[in-house]
Amino acid sequence: MRTELPAALRRLRDELAALRLDLDLPDAAAARAARDDIVGQTDDYLLPRLDRMDAPVLMVVGGSTGAGKSTIVNSIVGADVSPSGVLRPTTRGPVLVCHPDDMRWFADDRILPGLPRVTGGAPTPGTLLLTPAPALRSGLALLDAPDIDSVLAENRALATQLLAAADAWLFVTTAARYADAVPWEFLSTARDRGTALSIVLNRVPDDADREVAAHLAEMMRAERVDAALLVVGETRLEDGRLPPAELLPVRRWLDALAADAQARADLVRRTLTGALRSLPGRAGAVERAAAEQLAAAADLRARAELAYASARHEIEEALRSGSLLRGEVVARWHEVVGTGELMRELQTRLAAIRDRLASLVTGREPAGEQLREAVEHRLEAVVRAAAERAAERAAYAWADSPAGRALVDGAPAVTRASEELRADTRDQVRDWQGYVMELVRTEGAAKRTTARLASLGVNGAGLTVMLAVFASTGGITGLEAVVAGGTSAVGHKLLEALLGDQAVRSLAARARDDLVERVDRLLRDESDRFTALLEGKAPEASTIARLDAAIDGVRRAS
Amino acid sequence: MSVDLDRRLAALADAVGVADGRLDPAAVEAARRVTGKAGARLGLGVESTVVALAGPTGAGKSLLFNALSGVDLAAVGRRRPTTSVGQAAVWGDGADALLDWLEIGRRHRVETDGLRGLVLLDLPDFDSVETGHRLEVNRMVELADLLVWVVEPQKYADAALHGGYLRPLATHAGSMAVVLNQTDLLSPTETDAVRQDTARLLAQDGLVDAPVLAISARTGAGLDELRGLLARRVASREAALRRLSADVEAAAASLRRWCAPPRPTTVEERNRKTLATALSEAAGVPRVVEAVGAAHRHRGTLSSGWLPVRWVRRLKPDPLRRLRLDEGAQAGFGRTSLPPATDVQRAQVATALRAVADSASEGLPAPWPTLVRRAASAGEDRVADRLDLAVRSSRLDTAAPRWWRIASLLQWLLAATAVVGLAWIALAGIAGSFRIEDVVPLPDAAGVPVPTWLVLGGLGLGVVLSSLTRLVNSAGARRRQRAAERELRPAIESVAHELVVAPIEAELAAHDALRRALAVAAGDGS
Repeated sequence: MRTELPAALRRLRDELAALRLDLDLPDAAAARAARDDIVGQTDDYLLPRLDRMDAPVLMVVGGSTGAGKSTIVNSIVGADVSPSGVLRPTTRGPVLVCHPDDMRWFADDRILPGLPRVTGGAPTPGTLLLTPAPALRSGLALLDAPDIDSVLAENRALATQLLAAADAWLFVTTAARYADAVPWEFLSTARDRGTALSIVLNRVPDDADREVAAHLAEMMRAERVDAALLVVGETRLEDGRLPPAELLPVRRWLDALAADAQARADLVRRTLTGALRSLPGRAGAVERAAAEQLAAAADLRARAELAYASARHEIEEALRSGSLLRGEVVARWHEVVGTGELMRELQTRLAAIRDRLASLVTGREPAGEQLREAVEHRLEAVVRAAAERAAERAAYAWADSPAGRALVDGAPAVTRASEELRADTRDQVRDWQGYVMELVRTEGAAKRTTARLASLGVNGAGLTVMLAVFASTGGITGLEAVVAGGTSAVGHKLLEALLGDQAVRSLAARARDDLVERVDRLLRDESDRFTALLEGKAPEASTIARLDAAIDGVRRAS
Repeated sequence: MSVDLDRRLAALADAVGVADGRLDPAAVEAARRVTGKAGARLGLGVESTVVALAGPTGAGKSLLFNALSGVDLAAVGRRRPTTSVGQAAVWGDGADALLDWLEIGRRHRVETDGLRGLVLLDLPDFDSVETGHRLEVNRMVELADLLVWVVEPQKYADAALHGGYLRPLATHAGSMAVVLNQTDLLSPTETDAVRQDTARLLAQDGLVDAPVLAISARTGAGLDELRGLLARRVASREAALRRLSADVEAAAASLRRWCAPPRPTTVEERNRKTLATALSEAAGVPRVVEAVGAAHRHRGTLSSGWLPVRWVRRLKPDPLRRLRLDEGAQAGFGRTSLPPATDVQRAQVATALRAVADSASEGLPAPWPTLVRRAASAGEDRVADRLDLAVRSSRLDTAAPRWWRIASLLQWLLAATAVVGLAWIALAGIAGSFRIEDVVPLPDAAGVPVPTWLVLGGLGLGVVLSSLTRLVNSAGARRRQRAAERELRPAIESVAHELVVAPIEAELAAHDALRRALAVAAGDGS
């Protein structure tokens, strides 16, 4: 084992601890459990064990509820260190028993740093009860773990954590239990991780000794579980403990181990090597899940983007088709141009109208103001409807995938356009109109505009440029729309003349770009509500690359 | 009880019909399975009572099965898991159809009195490494009338039992009993403690009423009590009904997640009005109404106005004709010249539909707002066309009033008077220039020559009359605008109703139907 191994492990642990796997994908829960498992095992076992290879062997006694774990521990040490009884589950807090000389190894938080130590009193959940036992030999500590299969889910989680922190498992099952599904899940985990393991088959009725032990051995062979099988018969307990004769197989095996330092070192090395060897594969599975999360997040992001891209397209189409110019906007344009009046109809000369327009616009604010409001109203309606539809489409698209459905269900407000959209749109349109006016003013000062446009005054020119935004890009179509909108021949001619103006066209192009950018910003704010839901739920590409490097580091160092 | 169950089953079936395609498919499918299962079970009669012995491996189900039937029917062994296929012991005869339905092949007749009508099933375990056993147990647990859970002191607190079966079946306490077997391994005080602890765990699962019996199948302790319990359940013939009733209740409860308290199934008047107004605007109704008024004024001027103004006015197009909404166009099939629905109008329509859907579904639980919204916007694409059709086929009053002719005649007379006056003055002037006096008489009236009176009077009265008619026409235009509004509004409202309000109300009615059906299925207030 190389010296850089602890650093590589620490790096992998930190990468995994920071890894977010919160999207509801089918195997996300398993991946999260595997991630926590590796982080826990690194903290609880791998790093401390690499640090001190000479620490005593920690043997975790684990198994089903009612299998007699506490009874066996009590019988081995010859004292009631862990309560046993008929009520399930009996053991709720883990108890660590070791020779008094070994206490110093376990009193600090070298191993299992998450469990506060207590000495004396009854075991309580959430703590690790340390009990010295002179009957045990030095160099071997026993840890009575909670059950793996009772109704208390936290027991199972703690047992999993403790078993991952063990140098060796003493796995206790019974004649009634040995074919249960849950213990076999644990046994195959031990096999996959190369954990040193021995199995105690407890409470075997006299008449079934051979048959059950043979069947269990057969199952172990079939499952490729390599372990010592120690059989303890069903018997009346004496004073809550097993009679020495029944316990003999277990005691003999433990004593042999305690006496042989080399065997202990081999055991420690075997479990450590197995755990290290299993690490890249387990972390690789987490990494695959992380990649899936990344892909799912990217997919959801793409779905939201697609919905909002089509909203953007809808709005641009509305701008391009000149449909914004119909109805009220054109009616207001008429008022601005003043074609409603009889006398104006008599004047067909373009110049006269233009002069009229200029004076009207500069002299009578309200008509221009109304036109501006009409434009604002129209734009707002188009943006709002597009945003509503986009929110719906994006939400439907998300609801198609399990991860997205959970997110949308958690934030039902995203299925509609946001509350702020109306006010934001109004602000943006007003700002845009201000921008157009400013544009006309500065360009006018720069003498780049033609006399025709300049003659309209800043307000009139500004309004003309706004209309041109909705008409000019469509070229003929835009103008046709204006005609279809009911503009009289005079108003049409005037508009045609103005919209054909090169200066108006170039200003309109810039105004349009600005408007599109503002609409983009509005829609981005809207679609950000979707991407915000993904924030911190899934890993980023760089995280996965770093994780990959960390896994590789561990593989190379071990 | 059976009649009541039939009624509740029918209600659940109705609820399934409404929920199908609307609510979570898994929950709907589960409810549908319940109706199917209950129908089949009731069809097989309640003379027999199916009791299933279920439990973890090694709890002693087979031993208990043998002890109850009095024959060594089931293989008992140390090797776990022992039983892999379910088998049945039938007290009395019949029940073959029932066992066929249960798909139990291995059947044995037991000729002991007292339990006649009992069909006892020995099930495989649900917690061993054999996953096939679990599937078989799951199937039978769904079908049996009474579930007897056999546990033992080692295993009574297993998560596989409590989390996997008892907690999900918390609604079925009346169709369950728990038997604590192998008490011969415990002392009497221990037995009592474990039994109480079992009852405590059952209460945690939500099964307060399920009886807990301590027995030993090996020694026969407590078996009489169990036999008594089974005999009572079998004799009452209510176990099947009770089980099905609990099933129906659970299915109804699971669907009721999606039900809100009673609420109106109609769209509020206020929202209908808002919608109709929004659609009117999108359909260009204000423009049509405005055009009706403008056309009346326009035509009034043309036919009854001052003649010089009339000639100027002829240059201006007729507002209604421009929209092709005058009588001529209405007869034809062409679209109106109202501009086709623009993006803006479609946007307004879309927003209005969603607004009315949202307020109609306010307070309804999760999928309903979406369903209502979808129903409201399903006809979105057709709304614009239908609105146009509604406007086009409406009867707008554009007939010329009779008095226009009289006013016109008067204008012509006044104009003629002015012309006569002018001609008179002209003749007099010409005659004067030729020094021919007295050929053209110029009588005075009030010191002013009569022809001057004629010219001034003809012109002046023409202008006055024109002003008067204009006033009257303005009033008429307003009246016609109101009439047009009255004419168009119902047309728009009927489009709104057909394409938006009715689909929304259909969804609201579906919710209400579901709510009522589930109330019946759950046995509320009956």
